[in-house]
Amino acid sequence: MNATRPAEVKRPVNVKRLQDLLQAAVELELATIPFYLCALYSLRPGSNDETGLIIRSVVVEEMLHMVLAANVLNAIGGEPRVIGAAHVPRYPHELPDGTVLDLLPFCPEGVEEFLKVENPQYPHKALDPGHPMVAGRRPKRHLARAASLMGAPTTIGAFYAEITDGLKGAAAALGERALFRGDPARQVTSEYYYAGGGSPLPVTDLASATGALTEIVDQGEGDLASMYDEDGDLGHYYRFNQLKYDRTYLPSDDAGAPTGPQVGVDFGAVYPMIANPRADDYADPELRAASDAVNRTWSRLLSDIEAAFNGRPEALLPAVPAMFKLRDQALVLLANPLPRGDGRHAGPTFEWMADH
Amino acid sequence: MIFPPGATALTDPDAVSETLYDAVIIGGGIAGAIIANQLSQAGQRVLILEAGKGEDMNVASYEDYLTNFYTAVSKDNQAPYPVNPNAAMPRSTDVRRITPGQPDTSPYLVQNGPYATDFTYTRVLGGTTMHWEAKTPRMLPEDFDTASRYGHGLDWPFGYDDLEPYYQEAEREIGVSADVEDQTYLGLGYPPGYVFPMRGLPLSYLDQMVARGVDGTEVDLDGQPVTLKVRPWPQGRNGIPNPDYDGGHGYTPVGAVSTHQVEEGGRCQGNNNCVPLCPVQAKYHAGKTLAKAVGNGVHLLTQAVAYRVHTNPVSGRVTHVEFRAYRDSSSAEYATGTARGRIFVLAANAIENARLMLASDLQSASGLVGRNLMDHAYLLNWALLPEVAGTGRGTNSTGGITDLRGGPFRGRQAGFAIDIHNDGWGWATGSPVSDLLHIVDAQNKFGPDLRRSLIDQVSRQLLLAFMIDVPPNPGNRVTVDPAYRDQLGNMRPVISYSISDYTMEGAAFARRLAKRLFARLGAEDCTAYSPADYGYVSYGGQDYVIRGGNHLAGTHVMGTTPANSVVDAALRSWDHQNLYLVGGGAMPTIGTSNITLTIAALCFKSAGHMIERLRAEQAPVVLSGSNQ
Repeated sequence: MNATRPAEVKRPVNVKRLQDLLQAAVELELATIPFYLCALYSLRPGSNDETGLIIRSVVVEEMLHMVLAANVLNAIGGEPRVIGAAHVPRYPHELPDGTVLDLLPFCPEGVEEFLKVENPQYPHKALDPGHPMVAGRRPKRHLARAASLMGAPTTIGAFYAEITDGLKGAAAALGERALFRGDPARQVTSEYYYAGGGSPLPVTDLASATGALTEIVDQGEGDLASMYDEDGDLGHYYRFNQLKYDRTYLPSDDAGAPTGPQVGVDFGAVYPMIANPRADDYADPELRAASDAVNRTWSRLLSDIEAAFNGRPEALLPAVPAMFKLRDQALVLLANPLPRGDGRHAGPTFEWMADH
Repeated sequence: MIFPPGATALTDPDAVSETLYDAVIIGGGIAGAIIANQLSQAGQRVLILEAGKGEDMNVASYEDYLTNFYTAVSKDNQAPYPVNPNAAMPRSTDVRRITPGQPDTSPYLVQNGPYATDFTYTRVLGGTTMHWEAKTPRMLPEDFDTASRYGHGLDWPFGYDDLEPYYQEAEREIGVSADVEDQTYLGLGYPPGYVFPMRGLPLSYLDQMVARGVDGTEVDLDGQPVTLKVRPWPQGRNGIPNPDYDGGHGYTPVGAVSTHQVEEGGRCQGNNNCVPLCPVQAKYHAGKTLAKAVGNGVHLLTQAVAYRVHTNPVSGRVTHVEFRAYRDSSSAEYATGTARGRIFVLAANAIENARLMLASDLQSASGLVGRNLMDHAYLLNWALLPEVAGTGRGTNSTGGITDLRGGPFRGRQAGFAIDIHNDGWGWATGSPVSDLLHIVDAQNKFGPDLRRSLIDQVSRQLLLAFMIDVPPNPGNRVTVDPAYRDQLGNMRPVISYSISDYTMEGAAFARRLAKRLFARLGAEDCTAYSPADYGYVSYGGQDYVIRGGNHLAGTHVMGTTPANSVVDAALRSWDHQNLYLVGGGAMPTIGTSNITLTIAALCFKSAGHMIERLRAEQAPVVLSGSNQ
């Protein structure tokens, strides 16, 4: 796990850097959401039910991770941001370890990207830029804030480890109370956010901060020592492995291939969305209007989330119906073939619209 | 919630016939599941016999039920379930008006009348919780002694305070969302500090609109003024866990059941599809308890219909239950099996429990098996509100009016609870399909005009369902007749039922109140009761249509002596020492609350006695004069 970590440098206690890293963490978790949602929405309604449940369960937990990161940031006096061109992720999106997130329809190549994101040790073959699906569809990569802050390729696990170590060091140097000076009223709790596998923990001190960060790593890509987290839920990597092998894990299975009943993955029952769609791809005014509708809803959702992270946790309540609306509007795009004539369909572009 | 894969194939009729269980339970619904779970946790070997079909419970098979429902042209509460002549389920589509003297013998339930009941119950794994609405109000303290208090009904052999701790267990098992502050009225009390597992679900927009007209309305009954208020219902579906529950341990909602991990159903989404099936399994169904029971080692044999309960003629003890195991629901072929246990529990619902006893020639000394059949009498009233009210969102019913559930007036007329239906006129008129047909065929609308009319019509619909108390009446009964059998050779239930004046007096009052409430809301009363309807009742020169609620009860009442009841306060048969009859059939009255929560509470109470008894029978015997 430490193979690509830079040599140990004694950094001075720098709360500002911790805040920047945590802001980068919020953006990192946010960036996985459109990545997974495109795959989820591309499943044709009425098909791939179990596949959809599996992907959605991961999306919901990535949102939880974003909330947890924001709670830690708020606890040390920071102000989480998720709106505006400076913070909203763009695609293809490059993670600190070099992995590239493309917005793809649900497909075997996409499943490979899921596995790689959730397990950096996973020996996946990165998508060749010349692959027909993405050829010409990767004009520019958007570098994750985490990548630019770290300065050298770093795994996500190492990234969170730096934050945890940094918090411990700062608490020792400055005193815990001085470090965790944020207003407790800014914490998002399980009153307002529901995520299948876990609960948003209010963060008020070092123990709860490291607990929150451990939960992120535990549920997600980090702790591959064990397949199940402490709540007994399968780690994300293993959930996606079920999609790769089209079998579910039995409680008796080990970390290899699952041997349980079929999931019922049907790569054929998928809208063939164009890779990394952009609003500029839609010359047709109707298509463009449908795309703008999605992006307005996405932007409104992000505004609600930002409000929730900055003193109004109840702003997460309208986020629930907004997610339903986002899905319905995205489906309008996904059902429509592009005028290009090669059979590929439109899809949600997840771009920020200031006038939403 | 994981349902252990392979659990429904762990045993077969032959293996079962070779085994002596500690407890044999007939019925895989909520009563059977709770008792099986409790007994297995106490180390007992348990078998559940389920008449209906049921493979391992998983999301795929649940989705099949949903697809059946979505694609059914006629959507009633049994529409998800394939017809199974070997474990037939009564359906509301079966019901016809009964001509006096000519019983309706064609559907599964033979109906003598005079009132044609539309009773339904579901015979698959999970039982009738596979179509219930999941409102979970408690009975009022006064519901337990209406005979002493009001001169109507029967007294229970214990009171609300005795059952209260078991209500808490039932609320935990089902997972109830409610706030104590909203549920403290008419004597309902809770131990200090008690909170429900999950916070109450909010009142819908429609409820709030109705509340603006209803709240504060004064009703005068026998000189006693009662003020009405719209109140949220306690619900057996998932909401926000209350962190103060269980001494601060909180509560983890149980979502969908499957043979592998799925994340679904952790919160109600307001899909408005509660009856029959919640699309995401946020609503409780007994599969959530069965999964735990099976995980504890309970044996489950499906497609096994209990045929006869055999007893020792001298001791009266049940020796075994003979059952018929079928492979194919369309074929009458079966294999005979025997289930033997130290104790036997009938948990097949009030009608099937009585049917089985009578078919086994086991009428009790009291003569009350099958008698006192009760179901709530529903009087539906529907109107069109003056403005769009958001009908069609939320659970089927989030709010209602409970102020007339209790009071001295019950000496003269039945009390009732009022449901505000979030799903519009559906139950009364077949909306929204009926609206669509009318707008297209009769009004010739199409396009945007059609869409606007649908919204205008459906979104203003208000249905108030008055759930009226029905006291026990020995003449309302289940009997059997060897002339009427099902495909497997089991005698079918024969129902004789009528509605009393006491209940109809409550219905008449309900009708007057509905008109008054509609007037206060500025709503156009569209209620109409047709003499051609199977549920038609004439009372006081007025027309009424009474519907049933499928809250089946009374057919093996509990009581204080073998002469006045079939079972004792632990739900054990007076006549057969190792036989228990659980479920609604044991309830002497049904008051004005949906009965499932009370059934569950009674199961926790009864299970405690069963465990004590089983342990006592298995304890070593101390001989007098021994060296101990």
